[in-house]
Amino acid sequence: MNMNDYKGIWVIAELNRNGELYDVSLEALEAAKTLNPSAPAEITAVLLSGTGMDTTNAEAMLSHAGADQVLSLKHDLLGQYQVELFTKAVADLIEERKPSIVLMGATSTSRDFMPRVAARTRAGIAPDCTHLEINADGHLEATRPMFGENMLASVISPNHRPQMATIRGKAYAKTALDTSRAVNSQTLTPALSPEMARTKLLETMKSETKTGKKLEEAEIVVSGGRGLKGPENFGMVESLAEAMGAAVGASRAVVDAGWRPHAEQVGQTGKTVSPQIYFAIGISGAIQHQVGMSSSKMIIAINKDGDAPIFEIADFGIVGDVFQIVPLLTKTLKEQNLVVTV
Amino acid sequence: MNIVVCVKQVPDTAHLKFDANNQLMREGVENIMNPFDEYAVETAIRLKEAHEGSKVTVISMGPAQAKEVLKRAIAMGCDDAFLLSDDAFNGADSWASANTLKHAIQKLVPDFDLVLTGQFATDDMSGITGPALAEFLGVPSVTFCKRVDVADPKTVQAHREVEQGVEVFQMALPGVLCMMKCDYEPRIPSIKGVMKANRTEIPTHDAAAIGLPTDQAGANGSTTVTLKTWRRPKKEGGKKIDGADPQVAVNELIGFLRERKVI
Repeated sequence: MNMNDYKGIWVIAELNRNGELYDVSLEALEAAKTLNPSAPAEITAVLLSGTGMDTTNAEAMLSHAGADQVLSLKHDLLGQYQVELFTKAVADLIEERKPSIVLMGATSTSRDFMPRVAARTRAGIAPDCTHLEINADGHLEATRPMFGENMLASVISPNHRPQMATIRGKAYAKTALDTSRAVNSQTLTPALSPEMARTKLLETMKSETKTGKKLEEAEIVVSGGRGLKGPENFGMVESLAEAMGAAVGASRAVVDAGWRPHAEQVGQTGKTVSPQIYFAIGISGAIQHQVGMSSSKMIIAINKDGDAPIFEIADFGIVGDVFQIVPLLTKTLKEQNLVVTV
Repeated sequence: MNIVVCVKQVPDTAHLKFDANNQLMREGVENIMNPFDEYAVETAIRLKEAHEGSKVTVISMGPAQAKEVLKRAIAMGCDDAFLLSDDAFNGADSWASANTLKHAIQKLVPDFDLVLTGQFATDDMSGITGPALAEFLGVPSVTFCKRVDVADPKTVQAHREVEQGVEVFQMALPGVLCMMKCDYEPRIPSIKGVMKANRTEIPTHDAAAIGLPTDQAGANGSTTVTLKTWRRPKKEGGKKIDGADPQVAVNELIGFLRERKVI
């Protein structure tokens, strides 16, 4: 391998079922733009979709967001995500076109197939990164949390190309759109066949959230814990979330007790979130919970126990009765038409 | 079914200690089985219990003390265990670890049906080893699994927890499943299980024994280098209101949010 053959930065963009780009794809594009601003490398966005999907809008948005070109991989077999087909399509394109850097937003999809792409192409991969830069030696230096968010590590791949990384949601702002930028897109057909796929999606059971907000993407998260005393009292958490357009989260204790689904669990064996504002309602804040939320930009805690560890990391804490304070907060926000925007 | 579970010994992240230079202290810290691997072990034992004639082999890469987590897996109900240990494995990243496990599985359990791993290890949190292992073995994989059902002897159904909800995937065997927290909790080993584990001989294999060339092992076989690690600055607590009238407390909070320009 001649490392000098590998040039440019790729961002693998991800589409939802309606052909719209995930926010984290535009955040990954922003990360790409921050690399080496004095001598900008060419930025290529790569899209994978089914033949029937109209990707015109997504391609335009990627171009307006800073992609110098868009490679749109289209195939009947790419209409639905499948690990081996996505691995093959991306790995083949990497081997053919030799990018120096390949980025993707950290989602359940990228964390499913990108490690396989890295294994196949003998590439280094840094997962769930919170910061990227090009170091003095010209290598991509990625910062990523480890040891349950207690530690940060900087990782490089000095002897392999491409240098791959997945970018944690909200680590970068969504890149600004410049509609005057030209759209330069090219449609490619990867060489795929049905027998390559040895897994098959049978069914998707959508999780119904009252506020319709996904935990990972939400700018505001309102989480409830054991201090709510019972599942029937979670309504006040949902009402507060609704009043602010927030997503609902939960501590491990209430998930284990069966009050809330695991999909809402924030913490070591649940999800890691880093919203602009995190409300911890009746959550003591054990280290296993902090692992999943301590990188939030602002933390508000309401808990009756003034010694609860959550207050050690809260920007604003109220020691008091959640049953009085939370409904009052919701009521005050509504009555005074206060809009929380981040 | 012939099942392999890959487990890792990790420091208990709930009780980490740091020295004066904010470097992680390796001594005096309790080591445990990676919590996600406990779900993988539990899942394997449940599959074994449901399918007569099944066997569960557990493999770990690590220093001699990692035998403790293998013993725990045996005590929970696994049948066989192997430790992969060699100074040549030092400095392995996820890529090299996956490659090492691939050589071990091909050597020790070549006719496996299913490999189970934890989705992440709580120390490095990479989530790479499982899917990369599947790629090296040339088999399919499903990540973020929380439940596994066996449809027929050559197919499993895995429930995969994603942002939008739960996806049910069918996977042809042999294959790899990476386990999240499951719908069920890992069992506590029984006294009988612990006694069995204490009697079980756990062989140790080095790089040569699993046919791994030393230039593919450890730091030499890694595709990444960790330049440095440092303690994340601990978030400082801010304002705290104690014992105020609820409406006063709420007004203070709203004032704080205004100050921070989010209202």
